[in-house]
Amino acid sequence: MSAMPESAVSQAADQTRLAFGLAVGELAERDDSVVAISADSVDLIGLRGLVEKHPERVVEAGIAEQNAMGIASGLATTGMRPYLCGYAPFITARSMEQLRNDVAYANQRVVIGAAASGVSLGVSGGTHHALEDLALMRALPNMTAIVPADAYQAWHAVWATREIDGPVYIRLGGRVAEPPVTARDAAFRVGRADCLKDGDDVAIIACGCMVVEALAAAEALAGQGVAARVLNMHTIKPLDGDAVLAAAAETRGIVSAEEHRVTGGLGGAVAELLARENPTRMRMVGMPDEFAIVGPTDKVREGYGLSKANIVKNCLELLG
Amino acid sequence: MPSNSEAVLKRLANEALRVRRNVWRALHAAGAGHVGGSTSAADLLAALYFHYLNLRPEQPDWPDRDRFVLSKGHANAALVAVLAQAGFFPDSHLDEFYGYRTLMGMHPDIKLGGVEMSTGGLGHGLSVGVGMALGGRLQKRGFRTVVMLGDGELQEGSNWEAAMSAAHLKLADLTAIVDYNKIQQSGHVQDVLGLEPLADKWRAFGWSVRELDGHDMAQITAALDALPFAPDRPSLMIAHTVKGKGVSFAEDTHLWHQNTVGDEIYRKALDELGEPL
Repeated sequence: MSAMPESAVSQAADQTRLAFGLAVGELAERDDSVVAISADSVDLIGLRGLVEKHPERVVEAGIAEQNAMGIASGLATTGMRPYLCGYAPFITARSMEQLRNDVAYANQRVVIGAAASGVSLGVSGGTHHALEDLALMRALPNMTAIVPADAYQAWHAVWATREIDGPVYIRLGGRVAEPPVTARDAAFRVGRADCLKDGDDVAIIACGCMVVEALAAAEALAGQGVAARVLNMHTIKPLDGDAVLAAAAETRGIVSAEEHRVTGGLGGAVAELLARENPTRMRMVGMPDEFAIVGPTDKVREGYGLSKANIVKNCLELLG
Repeated sequence: MPSNSEAVLKRLANEALRVRRNVWRALHAAGAGHVGGSTSAADLLAALYFHYLNLRPEQPDWPDRDRFVLSKGHANAALVAVLAQAGFFPDSHLDEFYGYRTLMGMHPDIKLGGVEMSTGGLGHGLSVGVGMALGGRLQKRGFRTVVMLGDGELQEGSNWEAAMSAAHLKLADLTAIVDYNKIQQSGHVQDVLGLEPLADKWRAFGWSVRELDGHDMAQITAALDALPFAPDRPSLMIAHTVKGKGVSFAEDTHLWHQNTVGDEIYRKALDELGEPL
């Protein structure tokens, strides 16, 4: 049962972070080795139900991400399946050495649920934005990095972790609505992009909250006679190289779209592959090499061009 | 408190001597390394592996084994020495320390049978030990977890996060041992960044603390036999040790935290240590 059940849909249909916690709770019911670790994140990540039903299955580490990461590694060495939950900006950067050494280098089966990624905490400012987390994860050997496009995919992603023999990073949203863009029962395969719309003029490769914008952009482009392919690249590492290379070969250019700095994120991953295998004209929609301005999430995203309109603009520029 | 017979203590002291000789041997093979912190821990390691830890060297992944994490990973020469002596791998592997593609580099590698965690970055092991102790409790396996910490290592703040959580979680099956040799890479700990009052700090964090002479096998074994020191609390052994213990020119100096080990130095060291039984 990897599709999100009705009981969870009613609580978390537009929140990847809550879908993650509810899925961990469901897994815990089926697998005695599943244990959640919270860095003071029980409500942030939808673990309250598990805490109330099976308190011993949620380890509260408090506001101490370095220790939480080490605990997760230690638990994993004993055969437990830890799901570590925290804020994306802190559970990556604050505990990066523990993540690198104790989890990635020691290659332990730790799953990290990183909520409030990107600029989802827009008004909180640069201390609370996570715009380099994917770059950090991409640079770690053994790591799998997943960016669900919606709550349904977040659920699938948690389920898929059962089959991954190593650390996994799952990037989740904050307290802003993430409308569903995938079918609840759509197939989900780690490392395999979803082609949500076919087209041979231009390819938009998007992840996370930019997938919905990419679909809207493709629709707008269709009205102008441009057939855009839309790939939901939900797995950043390992990247679906076949899908990227096919898009490069079968269209006239690629536009990446992500809520992350274009240095080191999805755009960087696509560009690195294309530079090696098939140099291709590209545009990158994402955050520039600066700390983001402070403001409401929707306005900050709009201000940096994380929007349908800017994806359309980039596609048209690319096609010239 | 149970006391251990002279024969037991003599056997353990002999294993500790073998650890020291093997440390020098491995670091001589390597050409250089962390003599000081490896030899200060030798008696503690010998007591752990030959008196306390419940292990199956022929089955290093036995799920119910006791866990030992060398958080001060730079003392890996002592860890691989005691693992070889305990039979986890052939003694001849010690001659391949620092080799190409080796599992016996300067710091422990989890891929080597008997090593529970890849350590070396300081301030990691105690958190990992908390996770191991929790895993044992959740699975009702009943194993015990021991983490060895360096003194300089305690300057890393992550240790204190781990100390807080271990007490909060009431991990009585978790023991930490501080190899308190008073010297770190660049000088005396008290001059670099002082730890005192160390025992008071740990007590304030909710640990049950005992101080001992980390080279007195009777005291070491008595402390291990008394674990846990209190119900529902993690235990801390503050073991007062001498850096470079056993070889006069290497003792109590930061110059032997890490140093080259040439042929002549090696011969002198072995002469001073003497032959094992």
